[in-house]
Amino acid sequence: MSMFGMLDTAASGMRTHRVWLNAVSDNIANISTYRPMDEAAYQPRYVDAQSLPGANGQYNGANGGVGVRQILFGDPEGRVIYSPDHPLADENGLVRAPDTDLGEQMTQLMMAQRSYQSNSTVILRAKDMYQQAMQIGRG
Amino acid sequence: MSDFTIDSLHAALRGLSTRQRVIANNLANSETPGYLAGTVSFEDSLRTAMRRGEPKTAAVSQGTSANPAFVNGNNVELDEETVALLETGMRYQLLTQAVSSKYSIIRTAIGRGA
Repeated sequence: MSMFGMLDTAASGMRTHRVWLNAVSDNIANISTYRPMDEAAYQPRYVDAQSLPGANGQYNGANGGVGVRQILFGDPEGRVIYSPDHPLADENGLVRAPDTDLGEQMTQLMMAQRSYQSNSTVILRAKDMYQQAMQIGRG
Repeated sequence: MSDFTIDSLHAALRGLSTRQRVIANNLANSETPGYLAGTVSFEDSLRTAMRRGEPKTAAVSQGTSANPAFVNGNNVELDEETVALLETGMRYQLLTQAVSSKYSIIRTAIGRGA
């Protein structure tokens, strides 16, 4: 157990949610990335998170935190759309668009952002608390 | 040096510190699928221990929140945890001031304080 365990926990939350925010922003940035039919479509990234065990082995006790277990990718087939004027279209006029739902990505963006914010609030409160503890006996 | 006031304050600080760590963990896992929020209780145990005159024996116990879970199996309530975070921090501050006051009294008694 580290001396300032609460900061580690909140930092693990900020790190995980930053990875999530990165994945969402990448997915939204590539929402119009079209590929020719003989290549894989842009595969949206999804973050698989898990809670980490704390000092006593419990998942919802003190000093645990959260981490990224793995990054999952969307369907390489994507959505096949008919767009004969597109320069990457094949002889049938088909191109591959990523299988990304913008509404879902925007919802995930809000969730990740709120969680990132609440973890940064924890860091502020933890800092206040540790400072208070260091003031004991000074006056 | 064993002292009823200091032992009681230490027991309460220990409980609040554990609670704050658990809240930090709950907020870090506020979107983790299948995560159930942790809870900390120490007040009842501390009250009983203080009535017995042995605040050192107060126990800090951890449990799991009984809130209903959302579709992803997570039951962390963001507002509850944020309010608890603030409240626990304020109570911690109050107790550290009480500990400082107690030590200030002791310093006065041993003739080194102002």
